[in-house]
Amino acid sequence: MSEPESEPLAVSPFCPKGEVLVVAEHILGELQPVTLELLGAGRILADKMGRSLLCIVMGENLGDIPQKMIEYGADTVFVADHPELKCYRTLPYRRVVCDFLESLSEPPHTTLLGSTTTGRDLAPRIAAHFDTGLTADCTELDIGPYEHKAKADPAKIGLYPNCLYAIRPSFGESLKARILGPWKNPQMATTRPGVMVPNKPDANKKGKIVKIPVNLQPDDLRLVVAETIREMDKGIKLTDAEVIVSGGYGLGTADGFNLVRDLAACFDNAAIGASRKVVDLGWIPYHNQVGQTGKTVRPKLYIACGISGAIQHRVGMSKSDTIIAINKDPDAPIFKFAHHGIVGDVYQIIPEMIKQLKEKKVARGVEAVVGSH
Amino acid sequence: MSGYNIFVLVKQVPDQGSKAGINPDGTIDRARAKRMLNPFDRYALQAALHTKKSYGGTVTAISMGPPPAVEVLLETLEHGVDRGFLLSDKRLAASDTLATAYALYKTVNFAGKFDIIFCGLQTTDGDTAQVGPQLAERLGLPQITYCEDFGIEDGKVHARRIIEGGVQKVITEMPVLVTVANSYHPLEYKSFRGAWRVQQLARKQEELRQFIKTIDLDVIGADTDRCGLKGSPTIVAATEKVGEIGGSCQMHEGHAPDELVAEVIKATTIREFMVAKK
Repeated sequence: MSEPESEPLAVSPFCPKGEVLVVAEHILGELQPVTLELLGAGRILADKMGRSLLCIVMGENLGDIPQKMIEYGADTVFVADHPELKCYRTLPYRRVVCDFLESLSEPPHTTLLGSTTTGRDLAPRIAAHFDTGLTADCTELDIGPYEHKAKADPAKIGLYPNCLYAIRPSFGESLKARILGPWKNPQMATTRPGVMVPNKPDANKKGKIVKIPVNLQPDDLRLVVAETIREMDKGIKLTDAEVIVSGGYGLGTADGFNLVRDLAACFDNAAIGASRKVVDLGWIPYHNQVGQTGKTVRPKLYIACGISGAIQHRVGMSKSDTIIAINKDPDAPIFKFAHHGIVGDVYQIIPEMIKQLKEKKVARGVEAVVGSH
Repeated sequence: MSGYNIFVLVKQVPDQGSKAGINPDGTIDRARAKRMLNPFDRYALQAALHTKKSYGGTVTAISMGPPPAVEVLLETLEHGVDRGFLLSDKRLAASDTLATAYALYKTVNFAGKFDIIFCGLQTTDGDTAQVGPQLAERLGLPQITYCEDFGIEDGKVHARRIIEGGVQKVITEMPVLVTVANSYHPLEYKSFRGAWRVQQLARKQEELRQFIKTIDLDVIGADTDRCGLKGSPTIVAATEKVGEIGGSCQMHEGHAPDELVAEVIKATTIREFMVAKK
């Protein structure tokens, strides 16, 4: 992007060195998929710079998790094993990560966490401790150069050949923002589960497993976990469903979701989704939210009912095989990327769809019988 | 004992539901956009008011933003908050989450002693969920993020928070910072009396100032190098338009609902996913 006639900038002394680090996440020993995705993304970043990929795992009796981290791309895995780390808690985990980063001769170039309830709890603590930048919910990560010319902060002026590009949609706009902060170490980012792609595991991949010390302070144990309850049996998970029927502000009221549920009930393996707006309004719980700050989904069929299709929603579902959108506004952005658009009132279209789906079933049966004669 | 000192952090955000202030190119003109209380903060406000009602104490609302942000503090007063602080200073412009957390940290210390700080899980304009934990780090506090149930027993906080695929019950001591999820109880309607009282107050700037104090960086003794653009480690280096996949959408419009639906059912594989009925 530099103009040919301009003076080339000197490489900034702040230019980040160090490796790429992934902070692994598990719930009571059950590895979270986002960790494997981060290893996939982290491997690409590390390879682009010719640096190594580190991973830190905290817990108690972690079994084969460290080995698995190597198979999925890590070069060195640092393991903190301690009874107080069995279950994720902010302060003990924060202590171990901060101590570990301080023990390195060179802080990591980049530190990645998942945008999960755990990663979003931990990452800001680490970023604030090191006064470094953190970009939440990235949809893309990359490495590239940046020339900082702003006169307002002369100390930072210079060329940064290897910056972390943390890319995320910006608020309410059909724009993607590339966010940088190469003058502080480590550059930090979180990504949503389901966004990055894990590597295929390689059982022959070589790597080191290194134990690291755990020095918790009494203050770190101010919070205790009394109970962890897993809600495995609460219907089909959004990320596993073949069909997702989603509702948005166009439903008009919270009761509109009854219609969405009725339509979803027509399908096998279906789940209910929602846009952020209606989750904010309390019409439906957060765990139904699809989009940048909700779940990223790739079902075979996605039916969007009264959803306008803002960029935040789109990044969470645009990779669905077939998208059917129902909206009464013919100019709604969702019609820019849906496969089939129905312009109409959801309160007329959905009941009609339910009716015809149930009818068609019968009609097809009759056809089949006729055809066999 | 006079109960708990409860702080609640609130933010004024552009109203995404309104088309006012949305430029044709999709960017936002924040000066013209309609403003509202960040929807997530309504749950934090409910948690603060419920805690006051259940265990006694006072609620202090704190906000940072340009002068119109006083509107959201007035709104919290209508709901029953006791007093508010608005940190407003031009030098705060272009603050990222780290710089915001620093400024709020100085504001919280200025506002006095506290037992619990409630924040919304995140804002609808930034969407990061970072400021709460970053503030807790500055204050050296334990934190409960994604909180959906909160109570106090024998002087200890008992809370339930969301984790991936489940919930966690935690117990901690005060002071503590809590970010409230939107699965917490929705904000109750304001009382007529509360709203009326605040409307009366709003007419008399002198009296209003006893309840809502507007402060700046000098008053709270903040290091201006750590605020605003200067104190923000991240910058937006570039923006790009998201490519539109226009033209590939097959539109169905202009007919009766039954015809539109029939067209789509015929054109897609929708029937393949139906519940198999015997």
